[in-house]
Amino acid sequence: MKRGMNDIRIFRFDASSCNGCDIEVLGILALGLPLSELGIKIVDTPQEANTLVVLGGVNIKSEPELEEIYELIEPPRRVIAVGSCAATMGIFKGGYTMTGPVDEIIPVELYVMGCPPRPQVIVSALADALGIKIKEIEPLLKTPEGFRGEPVVSSGKCIGCAACMNLCPASAIEIDDTDDERIIKFTHKDCIYCATCQEICPSEAVELAYRDKPWFGDKEAATAEATLELKKCLLCGIPFVASKQVDWAIKKIEEKLRIPQEAHDQLLRTSSICPDCRRKSINQVTEAKKILTSIAIRTQ
Amino acid sequence: MTDNSSNQKVIVFDPELCTGCRYCEVVCSFKHYGCIDLSKSYVRILFNGDEGTGAFEAVNCQHCEEPICVSACPSEALEKDERTGWVKINPLKCIGCQMCVYLCPLSVPFFDEERKAAVKCDFCDGDPECVRHCSPAALRVVTREEALQLNKRLYLGIR
Repeated sequence: MKRGMNDIRIFRFDASSCNGCDIEVLGILALGLPLSELGIKIVDTPQEANTLVVLGGVNIKSEPELEEIYELIEPPRRVIAVGSCAATMGIFKGGYTMTGPVDEIIPVELYVMGCPPRPQVIVSALADALGIKIKEIEPLLKTPEGFRGEPVVSSGKCIGCAACMNLCPASAIEIDDTDDERIIKFTHKDCIYCATCQEICPSEAVELAYRDKPWFGDKEAATAEATLELKKCLLCGIPFVASKQVDWAIKKIEEKLRIPQEAHDQLLRTSSICPDCRRKSINQVTEAKKILTSIAIRTQ
Repeated sequence: MTDNSSNQKVIVFDPELCTGCRYCEVVCSFKHYGCIDLSKSYVRILFNGDEGTGAFEAVNCQHCEEPICVSACPSEALEKDERTGWVKINPLKCIGCQMCVYLCPLSVPFFDEERKAAVKCDFCDGDPECVRHCSPAALRVVTREEALQLNKRLYLGIR
C-alpha cells in the first residue's frame, strides 16, 4: 500500500456523465455500510482528498477543470474511472465536444465497469484498491435476478454473422478477419450493457453474465472472444463468410422449405460463392435463376 | 400454385429484349436513395463483355413463391405479403446478419453499410419504377403464371 493511502478520501468529479454514474456514487451512502470505520470518506474539496473518482468522458469544457483538480490533489493520489464513459467515452465516442477518455488526460489506476456500475461494486472496487475486506458487502454484491453484466460469447454457439457488431450502439464488438479465421471480440471497456447483442443473436450465443470482480486495472484485458472458420469463395478465393453461418442458415431453410434434391445441391454450391462473384457473371446469374425456377415449378 | 398466387404480379427480365441502357438502375437508385448512383440500385444489369456474346442478364428479385431469404431470416424481418406476393424487408426488424445476402442464389438483397441492414426490391409498392422506364419492355410486370412460363423457356429450355 502506498504511503498515506490507508484511508480513502474521495473527491468526485463529473467530467460529462449523463448523471447515471453520479447517482450511483451517491447511492454508496445509502448502502448502510460503516464507511467512516472502513476509512472511506467523501470530501468537499480536492485539497482534502487523496482519491479522485471521475465519471463520464472528458469534453472540451471539463478537460482543463479535470487537470486543475488533479493538480490540487496532493500525491500520493489515485484516480478511479467509474463507468464505461470514463473508460472509453462509451456511447459518446465520436461526439464533437468529446476530447478523450479520462486516461488520456490523467493516469488512471482502476476502471469500474458498468453503465452505470452498482454502488456495491464501486465500494468493493475502492476496498480492493485499498486492500481491505468489507465483510458487510458480500451479501450485497450478490447479483440480483436478471441483472445485465458483461457480454460473454460462447465459441461453440456463435455463427459469426456479425449482426451484434452491426447493432452495438457503443461499438464494443470488433471483428478481425484473417485468411482463414474470423475473431469476434467483445471489449468490455466499451460495453454499455444494453443487451442488444443478447437480444438479437440468432444462435443465442451471447449472454450477459456477471463476474465476481467487475473492475479492472488494464482495460484492454477485459474481453470475450469467439473464433470461427471462414469460408473461401469458390471463384475468387477470398474468404467472405463464416462456414457456420451458411450451415446454420441452410439447416433453417431445410426445416421450412422442401427443396428438390438437385436444386438443393446447387444451392449448396452457390452459397460457397461470394455475393460479389454471384452478381458479376452472367453464368452465375443464369445458374441462380435455374435454381429458383426449378423450385417454383415444384410449388406449381 | 394456388389461384391467388398464380395471379400475383412479379417482375420478369427478358434478356432478348434488353438493350443495356441501364435506365432501370438509374431510376431504382433515384427512387430508393434520392440520388443517381448505380451501385445503390436494387436491380443490376450484367454485360457479358469477356465472352463477347453481347448477352445481357439482370439480378432482379423474383418475389419467389417460397422465398429462400424469408426462411433463412432469423429475425422475421423478411416477410412475404400473402395477398400481393411481394417479399419485403422490414428495416426496423433487420439485424444485419446478411443471411439473406449469402443464401439467396441470386444474392438479391444487398447489405447497406450505412443503414446496417439488408435492402432489396420492394416492388415500389405496386408500380415498379424500373418497369415504368424500361422502353424495350425487357423488364415487365406479369402474373406469376406467365413469369414461370417465360423462365422455364429461358433457363430450363422447356417450351
